[in-house]
Amino acid sequence: MGIKGLNALVKEHAPRAIVSNEMKSLFGRKIAIDASMCLYQFLIAVRQQDGNNLTNESGDTTSHLMGFFYRTIRMASYGIKPCYVFDGKPPVLKGGELEKRLKRREEAESKATELKETGSIEELQKFQRRTVRVTKEQNEDAKKLLKLMGIPFVNAPCEAESQCAELSKSGKVYGAASEDMDTLCYQPAHFLRNVTAAEARKLKIEEYDINKVLEDFEMDINTFVDLCILLGCDYCETIKGIGPVTALKLIKEHKNIENIIKSIEENPKSKYKIPENWPYKEARELFLNPDVLKGDDVILKWEEPDIEGLVEFMVKQNGFSEQRIRDGASKLSKALKTGTQGRLDGFFKVQPSSSPAKRGAKDDKKSFNKKRKK
Amino acid sequence: MLEGKFDQASLLKKIIDSIKDSVKLCNFNCTEADGITVQAIDDSRVLLIALKMDPGCFQEFRCDRDLVLGLDLESLGKILKQGNNEDYLTLIAEDSPDSLLVVFEDKKKDRISEFSLKLMDIDSDVLTIDDMDNDCSLTMPSSEFAKIARDFKTMSESLQIVVTKESVKFKAEGQIGSGNVIFKPHTDLDNPEESIKIDVNSPVNLTFGAKYLNDIVKAASLSSTITMKLTDKAPALFEFKLPSGYLRYYLAPKFEDEE
Repeated sequence: MGIKGLNALVKEHAPRAIVSNEMKSLFGRKIAIDASMCLYQFLIAVRQQDGNNLTNESGDTTSHLMGFFYRTIRMASYGIKPCYVFDGKPPVLKGGELEKRLKRREEAESKATELKETGSIEELQKFQRRTVRVTKEQNEDAKKLLKLMGIPFVNAPCEAESQCAELSKSGKVYGAASEDMDTLCYQPAHFLRNVTAAEARKLKIEEYDINKVLEDFEMDINTFVDLCILLGCDYCETIKGIGPVTALKLIKEHKNIENIIKSIEENPKSKYKIPENWPYKEARELFLNPDVLKGDDVILKWEEPDIEGLVEFMVKQNGFSEQRIRDGASKLSKALKTGTQGRLDGFFKVQPSSSPAKRGAKDDKKSFNKKRKK
Repeated sequence: MLEGKFDQASLLKKIIDSIKDSVKLCNFNCTEADGITVQAIDDSRVLLIALKMDPGCFQEFRCDRDLVLGLDLESLGKILKQGNNEDYLTLIAEDSPDSLLVVFEDKKKDRISEFSLKLMDIDSDVLTIDDMDNDCSLTMPSSEFAKIARDFKTMSESLQIVVTKESVKFKAEGQIGSGNVIFKPHTDLDNPEESIKIDVNSPVNLTFGAKYLNDIVKAASLSSTITMKLTDKAPALFEFKLPSGYLRYYLAPKFEDEE
């Protein structure tokens, strides 16, 4: 679920680390996408008008197939080469978090059944969405579809985000796409958000630069990971009473969690209580040395889509319109055929720009991007 | 204070018209020695425009202090449309300008029109362009190249340029079929700008996006010839000479996927 409040902190303290761009500016790039998160996203978001998931004749959900098919094609038609990464086994530490999620889901389920009798449709839908769970079959469906589409995917040994980041770090792909902010802890070369968001929402792609975040937070990656653990991650609890503002203050003062614990323990008047058997060290280890396949060992290959296979799977088995599937597939093969357009930033180095400095001397107001002068 | 007077408004009109579809916002850097220079890159970072209008482009030019004018080219284009091609055109800016003054003077009638354009603060990355050793250089009539770029775009999304010692070949492969045009070098003594000149260190074979080439040839009306400097697996340079200075485009080539 990411890191609590990290996004707000970055926006406030390191605004220049985030660049928003149109999706088309990513063309020619290869991107690793956190598929497990996509699955959730699609199952929750892709709905019929009555709020139910799309289904095929036998009543199985097909929302995720719809999502993977069309959003992948959209990326391809912008010249982006996507590859997907699926979650493997969750780390042991995530057990607590997963249990919590299961409990929440059960609560939502019982609430939903309750509301079926009494509540309004909106309320019912709200809780139904909370009951969404990704099944093994849906995972397999998605992989099967991607294979037919000729889109490569990777089965991560552990968490998908960390694998995406590794692919980006090793230069296999340009960026790691996820919505979870904890991806930043794994230091991808470029971290992208909103890549798989619905087109209708017209969200721009947000590109995060971890190095700029670290510079502006004035800390190294170890300290940053400790900050994220304090803020609240999937792997362990937090110290009660420490919110984002305090967490940043404490970490800047003490540099790491050990020192913070020491200072809290040395101060009997401190209102904070360290959780018992707090596995922060293990959590830190998971962030800094995640279990991933080395980027160099991964082979990504984009192939021609298997059009007849797609028709068989999507149309005959899952009830999609044949015309649309064929149109989509031909878009896909066209997009992949035209060679990759090179980019100038691969050849020319960006100068530490001199012109803003000139302007800076002239007007001291901090004006970022395209602000109109009065 | 900047004051630059063009003998004919048409020069700046043509320049802005040819680049405004590729880049929206750019900084005009003005100095006494170099005149006005612009570097701008399109959003997708494929095409870079380097414009240099030396003081020689102007009938009169002075620039007491170095200035950066952040301009929205679309707005500038709108203002430039207000004047006639033969008018004198003068650009005027204060030392710490909030706006740029554009003045047209009709040469026959006593008509003077003045427009003021608001400036913007534009933060843009500046790329360092090193002088590259080129595999080959090619000069040909710009209208000829423009015709090829436009015609072949109707057939294919990419245009291949193959240069050998003996000839240059432009090639397009599309769904309906394929086509190519071959030129051999020749010198036309009566009309030197009709000549085709090829200098080859090593042969090249490059593919470019037809869309970008079409953006580039919008500048064909600025100069009767175009010079291309091509290097294998590197951005190509397309240059149009101005009366004094140049308009250059750097375009990244397309690649077949390595994997």
